[in-house]
Amino acid sequence: MRPASVLLCLVATLLAVDAGLLVAGQARRDGMGENLPLLHTVTAALGLSDLCVATEARYTRHPAVSDPLVPFMDHPGAMEHFPTGSFWAPPGRP
Amino acid sequence: MNAIIEKQCNILDYALSSLWRRRLKNGGIVVVFAAVIFLVASFQLVTSALTESAGRVLAAAPEITLQRMSAGRQEAIPLAHADRLREIFGIRAVVPRVWGYYFDEVRGANYTVLGVAPGMPQAEGLSNAVANETPWPTGAGQVVVGRAAAAALELQPGKLFSFFRPDLSLKPLEVAAIFRSETELVTADLIAMPIADARDLFGIPATHATDLCIYVANPAEIATIAGKIAKILPDTRVLTRPQIQKTYQVVFGWRSGFASVCLLAALAAFAILAWDKASGLSPEERREIAILKILGWETSDVLGLRFWEGIVVAGLAFLLGTTLAYGHVVFGEAALFKPVLMGWSVLQPTLHLAPQVTLKEVLLLLAVTVLPYLAVTVIPAWRAASVPAESALGG
Repeated sequence: MRPASVLLCLVATLLAVDAGLLVAGQARRDGMGENLPLLHTVTAALGLSDLCVATEARYTRHPAVSDPLVPFMDHPGAMEHFPTGSFWAPPGRP
Repeated sequence: MNAIIEKQCNILDYALSSLWRRRLKNGGIVVVFAAVIFLVASFQLVTSALTESAGRVLAAAPEITLQRMSAGRQEAIPLAHADRLREIFGIRAVVPRVWGYYFDEVRGANYTVLGVAPGMPQAEGLSNAVANETPWPTGAGQVVVGRAAAAALELQPGKLFSFFRPDLSLKPLEVAAIFRSETELVTADLIAMPIADARDLFGIPATHATDLCIYVANPAEIATIAGKIAKILPDTRVLTRPQIQKTYQVVFGWRSGFASVCLLAALAAFAILAWDKASGLSPEERREIAILKILGWETSDVLGLRFWEGIVVAGLAFLLGTTLAYGHVVFGEAALFKPVLMGWSVLQPTLHLAPQVTLKEVLLLLAVTVLPYLAVTVIPAWRAASVPAESALGG
């Protein structure tokens, strides 16, 4: 088998894996889409404003209702020290 | 046409043999390059999945949230403020909301305690949100607990537990139900209870609330009504639903610290790679090019050879990196990013991420990784190929 054919087989295998992953991922997306009405009900009925991703700090648990300055409000000269602060940018305000 | 394809196939064969001869070096480049692409692609997939989830789920968030500010901090808002809003035409309902955080010193966990006020939209559907189709409780002291909070506190329906009030007296509570796992994205750390119990737990008087949820008749007027509220109540912060949704596009944006680290790492790795390539070919590679030219190869053929080598290395790295990134985010719950994404959180919700892969994102990733690599591979080869073969051989 010539080298180009080996490469073609390798690329085809990788693309087939990609296609399989995307199909499985799409099935997962569809499943999540079916839960959307339920999530809308909970969000509306409880008046929720944020996703529950990080629960360690107020400003990463509820970034939508927090000021950009909240991480530094614990005391004068306070430093932001929670690890999630390195992942979450401060919410912008128009 | 066939001759052209055959020629390119032959050059590709030669390029692959040439890559195989230096397999350790080229294999290393593929692994490092794939790792860089994996990191950048994983970050892009995580952020796009979370941003999309936020946009879809929070479409049902309150249209306007009103918070009272004092000395730069949020304070309890007097219910009298709600009466002053009644003169604004277009407001459908103003619902006081009592909520806050309860820190569990034993477990180090932070729960979100929410008082469920009567009059909220879609309240009749709440029974569907709890496991085992239990009716939504309304009795005093009865709570519905999120999955992560229930696991931390080892709670099941019917179990009694208590929280401390600010004066350290105990507030008894009873678990009426657990939220369904499908709602974990918004309820994992939640403890929902009647609003009177939430007031009692936090010591918030009946004349005040944490904030006010305002519902307007026409969603197109949200911004106008928010402006009017800000004029009538200057000591408040007015948050609109579009702002809440926009927040999530910002917090996971490329400006966020971790994204910068990812990008800088990728950039540094790529710069080293590019510097290695662009600083010139090794004497051995120059010699190879000279021999090829003596054997009758044109400069364009040599460029074609380097181009194919670059395509193979960068293409394989791209395919490997993006495949691993998708698997990592969708099926591995972004396990590598979870320690940074959740930090010291004791309550860690299960993250179900299923980002949509768009052609735009794939092309963007391709443009910032593969194309520059191709450029830095071909340019030094062109410089070497345009030198006469005799001088390259040292003759």
